[in-house]
Amino acid sequence: MKRSTLPYGLRRNRKAQIQMSETIAVLFIFFVLIFFGIIFYYKYQQVSFQEKQEELLGTRAIETTLKTLFLPELICSKGEAESEDNCVDMLKLRSLNETIKQYLDDYYFEIFSYARIYVQEVYPGNSTFILYDKQKPDATREEPTFFVVTLRDEIAGKGQELHKFGYLAVVVYS
Amino acid sequence: MKINKPNQRGQIQLTFSWIYIAIAGAVILLFFFSIVVKQKQVSEERLSVEVVRIMESILTGAGVSESTKNFIDASGLADYTLYFDCIDSVSEFGIQGRPARAQNAIDPLFAPKTMQGRQIIAWSLPYKLPFKVIDFLLITSSSNKYYLTGGDGVFVNEFLNATEGFNREYVTDLSEIDADSEFDVRIVDADGTHIPGKKVPGSLQDFDDLKVSAVVFTGSNQNTIDFYQKEGLEWKKLNKNPVRIISLGGERDAAKYAAIFAGDDKTYQCNMQKAFRRLEILSEVYGGSGIAELQVGGKLGELQEYYLSQGLSAHPDCLGNIQNYPDHLTESLAALKSRAAACQLEEEICLDLISTAGKIQDLNNNLRLNCIRLY
Repeated sequence: MKRSTLPYGLRRNRKAQIQMSETIAVLFIFFVLIFFGIIFYYKYQQVSFQEKQEELLGTRAIETTLKTLFLPELICSKGEAESEDNCVDMLKLRSLNETIKQYLDDYYFEIFSYARIYVQEVYPGNSTFILYDKQKPDATREEPTFFVVTLRDEIAGKGQELHKFGYLAVVVYS
Repeated sequence: MKINKPNQRGQIQLTFSWIYIAIAGAVILLFFFSIVVKQKQVSEERLSVEVVRIMESILTGAGVSESTKNFIDASGLADYTLYFDCIDSVSEFGIQGRPARAQNAIDPLFAPKTMQGRQIIAWSLPYKLPFKVIDFLLITSSSNKYYLTGGDGVFVNEFLNATEGFNREYVTDLSEIDADSEFDVRIVDADGTHIPGKKVPGSLQDFDDLKVSAVVFTGSNQNTIDFYQKEGLEWKKLNKNPVRIISLGGERDAAKYAAIFAGDDKTYQCNMQKAFRRLEILSEVYGGSGIAELQVGGKLGELQEYYLSQGLSAHPDCLGNIQNYPDHLTESLAALKSRAAACQLEEEICLDLISTAGKIQDLNNNLRLNCIRLY
């Protein structure tokens, strides 16, 4: 067996250098793996956060539509009897925008948040009544919801109630 | 001696290696253990946030649809205690001991201070003064027991019929109460003869003070309320002055039922303030933004314009009820708006809302015959 001609001290140094390179390589691979893990986790979190946001926006759209459909400021009533579902009182609707604008920031924003709500008459006319409009400055998404309603106009039918048709549109922003 | 030296060094190195491995292992274990603990905390917080969010959605759905009762299975929440509070017209609910909570400054929500149970009951009742103002959401659970006592047969029957499916019972005398398995007990004394000046019933004496309360209807028409809380063997009255029910009465009176389900006088009045705020806004929807200064607008303005366009003689009665008769809608709506605004500042003024709302109701009934109604 051929013995190394290098002195004992130098031989030990070379062994230590190899061991150190090995440790550095292991550490490098370890950090690469950690780095990939972090990227994977970050991407996963990003996707699930977006999904959650979409889900919340959808829920908010439905909730806002529900609240608008049953709004006492809008719904048709008949004295002491229960309110008529999916019916909008045109006499209230025509001037409601003014009242909502007046109380938008200190009351109605709490109900509707960032949204645009309007009633579109489809038959016989095609008038649009904007009820609420509060745009989000940096909105990235919007979710529109539509609901068919009857529009009761008590002064348009010459002594009789006139029922028109239309839809309620609720667009929420996030 | 020279031969032994490397061996000793090896032994020391080996010992150090093992100590190093043990420390490194412990650090790694500690690291993972802390991650597990942190994740557990995070997931518990997430769960409470999710629960509060779902509760909010359920309550929104239950609150908007008029006169509906929802029996919600909440067996997953049976171990949690839900709390409800209301301060400065903002109600709050959440899970006790958890940071997640939901606040609401719009919808009146009447519920016990704390609640636990496998079933949550949400009941929405329309509050009318005289037109519909808002839906009151009454919340209770299957573990909250209501004992109704006293009163005439009319209210007893109405209450029992209206609360079908609730954990409630009619007792002729409080000694009949047997509430061992209940989480929370509320006694409803419909005529004020069973609670004031009396001792806490024997079967409730071992209960925690905060878990036993009573609501007592007093006054000539049972239109005032007193709230009581158990304090040892005695009843402690919570409100200084009797709380007046601000409503026009009748069946399924939302303001009266709200008192039965409200935690105490403060949360009751706090939530009622939300209704008065909405009433102020709604009187503008019906009468226009200048109605307080008798400048007609809104729905009433549309009606006035319509009848004026038909000629003064065409519908004298309609215009009379709107603006010409001694009692007319313009003046009454103006009074309603002013009083609803003032009532939010001073509670005594709220009482005037009843007579004003009564006038509007009469005028609306007059319109029903030949004219278009206001509401």
